[in-house]
Amino acid sequence: MPPTGLEPARMNRKKGDKGFESPRPYKLTHQVVCINNINFQRKSVVGFVELTIFPTVANLNRIKLNSKQCRIYRVRINDLEAAFIYNDPTLEVCHNESKQRNLNYFSNAYAAAVSAVDPDAGNGELCIKVPSELWKHVDELKVLKIHINFSLDQPKGGLHFVVPSVEGSMAERGAHVFSCGYQNSTRFWFPCVDSYSELCTWKLEFTVDAAMVAVSNGDLVETVYTHDMRKKTFHYMLTIPTAASNIALAIGPFEILVDPYMHEVTHFCLPQLLPLLKHTTSYLHEVFEFYEEILTCRYPYSCFKTVFIDEAYVEVAAYASMSIFSTNLLHSAMIIDETPLTRRCLAQSLAQQFFGCFISRMSWSDEWVLKGISGYIYGLWMKKTFGVNEYRHWIKEELDKIVAYELKTGGVLLHPIFGGGKEKDNPASHLYFSIKHPHTLSWEYYTMFQCKAHLVMRLIENRISMEFMLQVFNKLLSLASTASSQKFQSHMWSQMLVSTFGFLKSISNVSGKDIQPLIKQWVDQSGVVKFYGSFAFNRKRNVLELEIKQDYTSPGTQKYVGPLKVTVQELDGSFNHTLQIEENSLKHDIPCHSKSRRNKKKKIPLMNGEEVDMDLSAMDADSPLLWIRIDPDMSVLRKVEFEQADFMWQYQLRYERDVVAQQESILALEKFPTPASRLALTDILEQEQCFYRVRMSACFCLAKIANSMVSTWTGPPAMKSLFTRMFCCKTCPNIVKTNNFMSFQSYFLQKTMPVAMALLRDVHNLCPKEVLTFILDLIKYNDNRKNKFSDNYYRAEMIDALANSVTPAVSVNNEVRTLDNLNPDVRLILEEITRFLNMEKLLPSYRHTITVSCLRAIRVLQKNGHVPSDPTLFKSYAEYGHFVDIRIAALEAVVDYTKVDRSYEELQWLLNMIQNDPVPYVRHKILHMLTKNPPFTKNMESPLCNEALVDQLWKLMNSGTSHDWRLRCGAVDLYFTLFGLSRPSCLPLPELGLVLNLKEKKAVLNPTIIPEVITGNQETAINPSGHAQLVGFQNPFSSSQDEEEIDMDTVHDSQAFISHHLNMLERPSTPGLSKYRPASSRALMPQHSPGGDGTPLTKPQWGMELARKGTGIHLGVFNLEGKEQSPLEMSMHPVATAPLSVFSKESTSSKHSDHHHHHHHEHKKKKKKHKHKHKHKHKHESKEKDKEPFTFSSPASGRSIRSPSLSD
Amino acid sequence: MRNDYVRKEVCKRGRIFRANFEAHSNPSLSVGHVSRVLRTPPPPTSVGLWKTQRCEHRPAPFPPDDYKSHPALRSRTLRQSKMADTMATAGAGSSGTRSGGKQSTNPADNYHLARRRTLQVVVSSLLTEAGFESAEKASVETLTEMLQSYISEIGRSAKSYCEHTARTQPTLSDIVVTLVEMGFNVDTLPAYAKRSQRMVITAPPVTNQPVTPKALTAGQNRPHPPHIPSHFPEFPDPHTYIKTPTYREPVSDYQVLREKAASQRRDVERALTRFMAKTGETQSLFKDDVSTFPLIAARPFTIPYLTALLPSELEMQQMEETDSSEQDEQTDTENLPLHISTDDSGAEKENTSVLQQNSSLTGSRNGEESLIDNPYLRPVKKPKIRRKKSLS
Repeated sequence: MPPTGLEPARMNRKKGDKGFESPRPYKLTHQVVCINNINFQRKSVVGFVELTIFPTVANLNRIKLNSKQCRIYRVRINDLEAAFIYNDPTLEVCHNESKQRNLNYFSNAYAAAVSAVDPDAGNGELCIKVPSELWKHVDELKVLKIHINFSLDQPKGGLHFVVPSVEGSMAERGAHVFSCGYQNSTRFWFPCVDSYSELCTWKLEFTVDAAMVAVSNGDLVETVYTHDMRKKTFHYMLTIPTAASNIALAIGPFEILVDPYMHEVTHFCLPQLLPLLKHTTSYLHEVFEFYEEILTCRYPYSCFKTVFIDEAYVEVAAYASMSIFSTNLLHSAMIIDETPLTRRCLAQSLAQQFFGCFISRMSWSDEWVLKGISGYIYGLWMKKTFGVNEYRHWIKEELDKIVAYELKTGGVLLHPIFGGGKEKDNPASHLYFSIKHPHTLSWEYYTMFQCKAHLVMRLIENRISMEFMLQVFNKLLSLASTASSQKFQSHMWSQMLVSTFGFLKSISNVSGKDIQPLIKQWVDQSGVVKFYGSFAFNRKRNVLELEIKQDYTSPGTQKYVGPLKVTVQELDGSFNHTLQIEENSLKHDIPCHSKSRRNKKKKIPLMNGEEVDMDLSAMDADSPLLWIRIDPDMSVLRKVEFEQADFMWQYQLRYERDVVAQQESILALEKFPTPASRLALTDILEQEQCFYRVRMSACFCLAKIANSMVSTWTGPPAMKSLFTRMFCCKTCPNIVKTNNFMSFQSYFLQKTMPVAMALLRDVHNLCPKEVLTFILDLIKYNDNRKNKFSDNYYRAEMIDALANSVTPAVSVNNEVRTLDNLNPDVRLILEEITRFLNMEKLLPSYRHTITVSCLRAIRVLQKNGHVPSDPTLFKSYAEYGHFVDIRIAALEAVVDYTKVDRSYEELQWLLNMIQNDPVPYVRHKILHMLTKNPPFTKNMESPLCNEALVDQLWKLMNSGTSHDWRLRCGAVDLYFTLFGLSRPSCLPLPELGLVLNLKEKKAVLNPTIIPEVITGNQETAINPSGHAQLVGFQNPFSSSQDEEEIDMDTVHDSQAFISHHLNMLERPSTPGLSKYRPASSRALMPQHSPGGDGTPLTKPQWGMELARKGTGIHLGVFNLEGKEQSPLEMSMHPVATAPLSVFSKESTSSKHSDHHHHHHHEHKKKKKKHKHKHKHKHKHESKEKDKEPFTFSSPASGRSIRSPSLSD
Repeated sequence: MRNDYVRKEVCKRGRIFRANFEAHSNPSLSVGHVSRVLRTPPPPTSVGLWKTQRCEHRPAPFPPDDYKSHPALRSRTLRQSKMADTMATAGAGSSGTRSGGKQSTNPADNYHLARRRTLQVVVSSLLTEAGFESAEKASVETLTEMLQSYISEIGRSAKSYCEHTARTQPTLSDIVVTLVEMGFNVDTLPAYAKRSQRMVITAPPVTNQPVTPKALTAGQNRPHPPHIPSHFPEFPDPHTYIKTPTYREPVSDYQVLREKAASQRRDVERALTRFMAKTGETQSLFKDDVSTFPLIAARPFTIPYLTALLPSELEMQQMEETDSSEQDEQTDTENLPLHISTDDSGAEKENTSVLQQNSSLTGSRNGEESLIDNPYLRPVKKPKIRRKKSLS
């Protein structure tokens, strides 16, 4: 019998750990999922799963599995009925009775709840007791087959039903269902071990209506009619070991398209969309070829399926051998703008097939490797497909994004290590959520996490060369494919899991290079680098004196030490210098190659070997420097603010061939509104060879410069003559040529220029009449009849241009906006918008781009006071049934209205939609938009901020969004944005009085507090790992309190959950629960109570332990006792009060099943509580002598002692 | 159904009709003579067919000259007047045979009877022409009935065609389309009209015309060709059917054309959307005014993605046009919904036809498809009698 104490060590997968050790006392080898009935009308699913497991310890008597939302009827192990408990602490994170409204507290509780069922910690919502008859069998480590019958009724997450309400059969209506979710969410639709690290082979069976197709992972072995010939059963086999989290399902009346190039690839789409599907997927084979070539590895699965579905959860979701896409990615050949986006999505999903599906991860902290590799090879594909310019542009864009995010929020950590809770400095102390678990992450953080992962992968490539990089990938893949073919040696399967350690080891094996410093800097540490650069040229020494400063004290920054490349373009050529950035060296002397005396005839060699003539008259006669770039290859995750003269930026823009440099100089030139800048930008705009995105951003820069130069600007409005020359008829320059979008570069320019022009302002800060007329003429003369491509995006941008031209209305003493006082220009704009919007009803454009633009424009008009501000129109467009893009645009307008007009009614309407909208994506999006554009923020007085709203949001994140991780994290984001970490100020003071409240505020502001709290909690989350099989059966004394803490917590909720279920459903077919409950409790009880009672006695260091861990819990107890407390601890109080309830229950040391027997325990609990209190008292008295007197007695916490678990 | 019936009938009736037509246009009968002999008040010519051509009752026979210069007739196009005259002639002829000088019945009855008579005359002359010497009254009646319904159908159909194009007066093309639609080979008509052995029915007496001022005559009217009886109306003024040279330069200026096209499209769009807005539910940006900027109310779709993703009919039409003109060859060619099943140009090359399937649902597919071994294309197996149910 292995000692329990060792179990947590298994979890501890730090670098240095070798191989993979399962957190579970058994190994899953095969799983059958059979869904034999799907009812679209009722949105229900009935089926069973059968898991084949091999115990790895002799005394396995409880098996924990993951399951959410499913109603479990019956569990059998090797055909023997087994008792089980189903409890899910994440259903309601904090308990109802708690009046805590503190986000810190919530985050901790939520992290604890998620950990309590985390499969990576060996936990699960479903705990099955192995029948005693099988104990002997188990001791021999023989196979167990767990058969679970379950059903799912109106699932709110995991499976999404789309059932259009039209006439006809379900197939005719295009009804379909698909699995979805964020990270490992398979537990939402069938019981499983919902971990990326538990691999097994699969047999999947789905019985569906004869007119439907069920698409799932693996090979379709056969399709068989049922006896009545009304239904078909699809039999799938997946022989490559796969994690449950990578299992997916899509059922619908799909049209089927076999890829003409690769017959093992099949595409599915909804009825009527086949032509679009054909066009959209016609490119996919090239992506396949590309990946297979660079990875020198065949696509690992024997088949691949793409399914395009409506109301998608995310645009792209990759699962083993299949990907689920949003149907909105489909497009016809006429559509320009969507094509590259869709291809990107396809390529992205395919990259994830290799890294993410086939190769899975060992633990959450290894996620960055998979996201990094798949993102990196996707980047390589981009480079090949769209060219180096596009690639570099994308890298720059991603870099800017991650830099901005990290500087704003304080850092993204790729490889968080949660070892034992010893480390005091929590890696994520700046965040209001736990990064220990994917399900507690803010969605935006996760997006940025992925972004950083692939950028870091690129840094590694820079370090070890691409060749080695690809060899590493190939090595990982070939190891995995060898392992995957080992049918009966499931222990080999762990080779298919990647870990940070394994990955780094591969790198060092393959390349022989030490990349530890790089990993330490970017992977083990969060933050980016912020450089400030300036220079001076020393003529006497002919030396460039470069000064590079760093800001590493602001949040989200870190210090960089190491090499830094600087490129100097001189008259004699371009020279690279590698500077060593060290602790204190700020100045770097760089010798110049060229003399400042210029030979006027000579051409100037550029970096790429090109030699060009330049007009050097602008530059400083004494200096040979044309321009300087710091870190031109973006080999540091950094933000550079560099100072150089305007003419240097202009040279850089004109002559530097790197698009990133051009982009940077455009950004810098905004600050130099001079005719020279204007000329440089205009030249770039006209240059056909120049990358189109650079030209597009030059448009906007030119508009800004023109506005700054408004008093001295000569000639027609910026870009007008240029546009006329490029796109208008030679004979009649006011008429635009009929559309011909064959050249995409000029198409994008043609689209963008008017939008930028509309930003021009005259001296009165109005859009010049000339520009408005020009844009109106463009709209008027737009003629797409001879065009091969649709002009819907172009027209949409014209409306955007109109919206850009709108300036605030001149209003005399707040008169009411009516038609009569409508500005004549606005009247023209409104005329166009009306016509466009109405025409969309008759001849809708692709993805309704025009409607979207019109809605935005109307909101702009409202906001500028031309049209009465009114959300009614937007609300009607936001309704379910409109195309999702329209809905989002309309909702954005409502969100904006809510903010500007401070409308409580609209906010309620939005919140209502968050809770009730049928489309998960829309709900997520509303939260996101509210977070981005909040009606008020934590430091703001607002009439909207009231107690009811706090309660509402609290409820939303506490229990209202338990079916969708992403949504819940979104609600947390919003709560944070609105109220911050501490108790919202709009709430009435808790009964304790003002003192506490002040302290509370202090606590939030004090950065030293928060890490402590989180650390403590972290530990509680980690410890429960793997003790389950022992506690209560064999070794009641070995379990630690922390484990029990979690267990009790879950018990509490499970009870609520089960009773809720029983009450709600009253299904006669659920006798399993009641029937087997007594059995399980009987088995557990006797062994239990001694544990509960005995622990404090047998482990005297217990109280000590807790205190050291620094949880808020003991503080809470302490406060309750009314004893002294340090300001520090006191300030912790709000965090602490509610956990009291958790603690008091937890300390009764019971198991998941315990809730059935509260009556047995009640007296014990009370007794124990006292004990605990005493412990703490001692603790504090001994540890901290000097404390301020403080009296505290909270009815809230008092109530929480009588938690529901006690009161039944 | 109706069309089918008509077509079947046409086969039977074609010959008779031709005979009938012939009968009217037989120039061997003297128009002047007949009209003088009969002196019947001709009934209104075409109650059911061409209201615009209804003639007024006139007791006295009027001279052919008057008849010829009738302005209403003159304005008609060639074929139209022919047809009208056919009727007029028929009506006059029938009334002539029957009512002599007696005018006790009311005009409507009169008219019907007269028309009937004329038709009978026509039928009889056709029969004669075909070599019959005598015929039973019943058979003549039947043939007359058939002829009448055939002519009525031509009129009705021509009227529909003309109204379809928003006109009130049928033109030659309406009649031609009508005849083609009824299965009549129009090309044979001129030759039939010119055949040598045709009989000519006397010109009908014509009612007096409303006194209309003589229009200015422009140019020389064309004389009748020999096979058209001279009592038929004259050709209209040449400017109505021949090309009139104009002296203004046709608008070919690019700017003006673009201008025109743009404003035309804008007007149409505006009118259309306003109409839609007027007839349906609307939303307004201004509380006080709902009509200046009416927005057609947002209406949710049951399947929103279909309208959002599929190209509109207009776009598909455009695509076809640009396709057919083969503007520019692109690397990826389009798979338009319209020609999915037939052409998949370019991108998918030779495999395309192999791909046509949604057959796995039905289980049926052509031979080519089965070449691809894809599990989703395999037939669905019949249930086996086996332990299937044992699991549940």
